[in-house]
Amino acid sequence: MNTQSNIAESAAPKRKADPTKCLVGLRNIKKAFGGVHAVEDVSINLYPGEVVAVLGHNGAGKSTLMKMLAGAYPIDSGDVLINGEKVNVRTPADAQNLGIESIYQTLALADNLDSVANLFLGRELLTRWNTLDDHRMDADARKVFQRLNKNFKNYHTPVRRLSGGQRQVVAISRAIYFNAQILIMDEPTAALGPEETAMVAKLIQQLKAEGVGIFLISHDMHDVFALSDRLAVMKNGKLVGTYRTQDVTEDEVLGMIILGKQPASKLQAERHTA
Amino acid sequence: MNQALQNLKHSAVDWRMVLMAGVLLVITVVFNVMSDGIFLSAENLYNIAQQTAVVGILATVMVLIIVARHIDLSVGSVMGFVGVLIAFLMYTSNWSWPVACLAGLAASIAVAMYQGALTAFVGVPSFVVTLGGLMSFRGAAYMVADGKTQPLNDPFFLKLGGGFNGGIGTTASWVLGALICVAIIFSMASKRRAKKAYDVPTNPLWIDTVLALIPMVIVMGFVAVMNAYHIPNKEDAQGIPIPVLIWGAVALFMSFLVHRTRFGRYIFAMGGNPDAAALVGIPVRKVTMLLFLLLAVLTTIAAIVAISRLNAGTNSLGNSLELLVIAATVIGGTALAGGSGTILGSVLGALIMQCIDSGMLLLDVSIGVRYIIIGQVLIAAVVFDVAYRKWTGDVL
Repeated sequence: MNTQSNIAESAAPKRKADPTKCLVGLRNIKKAFGGVHAVEDVSINLYPGEVVAVLGHNGAGKSTLMKMLAGAYPIDSGDVLINGEKVNVRTPADAQNLGIESIYQTLALADNLDSVANLFLGRELLTRWNTLDDHRMDADARKVFQRLNKNFKNYHTPVRRLSGGQRQVVAISRAIYFNAQILIMDEPTAALGPEETAMVAKLIQQLKAEGVGIFLISHDMHDVFALSDRLAVMKNGKLVGTYRTQDVTEDEVLGMIILGKQPASKLQAERHTA
Repeated sequence: MNQALQNLKHSAVDWRMVLMAGVLLVITVVFNVMSDGIFLSAENLYNIAQQTAVVGILATVMVLIIVARHIDLSVGSVMGFVGVLIAFLMYTSNWSWPVACLAGLAASIAVAMYQGALTAFVGVPSFVVTLGGLMSFRGAAYMVADGKTQPLNDPFFLKLGGGFNGGIGTTASWVLGALICVAIIFSMASKRRAKKAYDVPTNPLWIDTVLALIPMVIVMGFVAVMNAYHIPNKEDAQGIPIPVLIWGAVALFMSFLVHRTRFGRYIFAMGGNPDAAALVGIPVRKVTMLLFLLLAVLTTIAAIVAISRLNAGTNSLGNSLELLVIAATVIGGTALAGGSGTILGSVLGALIMQCIDSGMLLLDVSIGVRYIIIGQVLIAAVVFDVAYRKWTGDVL
């Protein structure tokens, strides 16, 4: 358990990772469902303090790839390297222990439980008698929620009664509280209004500054160009290419997503220093 | 006054429970008037309390099964099988009762492992697994003693089911009641202290005082009534019946599991959103398996109380019991869609059902009419549940 109860103090002390050292290396990852090759031979690197956008149509394999990194699906073949070391990610708990946190598009919230219970779901704080330490969880949760949204008040209503933005706050708070080193965000702004989207953008900047590496799955080109450092495009389970966001235009990205066509004159920007 | 209302609203009072307690109160008063004061006599209340225990014990665990989006239709048959087995070992094989009960527990656990593994690991819906179990274990109950009734006569064992010597006596009842009151005060005080220590807002003192006083009054009132029941030709009054004590202990333990342990929280998370439960790393299969094992333990306890109450193990023990247990659970506000339900609700649900049944019995209502009415009460409870959820916005 990598809990840290004083995390809510806003500039949480984090291990400053070496920005030149590869944080996550996905190597030749494959996954098939029955006869369908959902992910075929995909390799992507992620560096500390970097946002890599993972793009593609529905069914391109981006969510499947990310779910493998999060331990939700078993990997058929290929390696996952964390800080250069080969690791096994077989279950969500494995991923959490490696500092990988995911914010799913569905948010993965238990709608019948309150926001505090959802923040700690699967990793509840315990008293010395191994019972739930509700008071400590309550107090810690208040700090994290307040950091993300000053107006957050609904600590003890079931999350099904919360607004889309507040539900998103609960999902994001997991990554903050448990000190993610690697964050997977699947469509983090899809259900949000403009104000809340700005909050997420600000948060991403903040996490980057703390050295967190972020995979961002998004359909929103505006978000992708505003937030990502590099982008990886997938089509039909294969990687079309990885580019520095500043090197490509929106049209070129759409060309890759729709046609799988690589932009003529651009250099692929996969850094290989691992 | 407005502020007071606001306080009440935010004081974590479960209004559904309050309403159910109100319904129970109305039922008892109406039956009491109609039966010219017999319904609320100490004797009748004593009998209702001990009659409800078996269904009540099983309903506490059925709540968790249903919350986790499962169902157990085999609970009556398994209880019959385990009950006959224990009685058979004591009567025909001359085993002492503790050893026989342990053997019964082992059999119950074996059943739970089988049904649990099919549900949790193979992925067969629990409805199907336990529907098969409903028939198979009724057959097993018959086979244990070839359909013969197994009478029991161990004097200590027979106390577990209540009956003539099944009360703990007046002094012990008062002491127990007082201890429970002290525990309630202590737990309320420590809750307030912990909230203050973490800067979490606390309820105003008067609300917490009222919230602590209500269960204390109920407990002491219950003790007083049980102590007032004096079987003619018997020296002492009865006091709390042992099966009710067992039921109370089970309900307390189950509430503890629900509110204070990861296991309980995971059950609710799995019922609320199974996909999310798996994604956040809850070991869903292991928790499901543990739930079935817990069911096995409580089924054994219920079987012991049932055969002791009956003074015998018969192959028809627990016939149709699963329906009463599920009905008590549902009347107690547990949603069949999963994700919501309370232990206290199951206690109230079981009591409401038993009170209606006993009340009609007192009024000489025929068995056909009794079944019709209890069936419609079940439906009314679910109609209320649906309406209540719409009203609070908790649509499932």
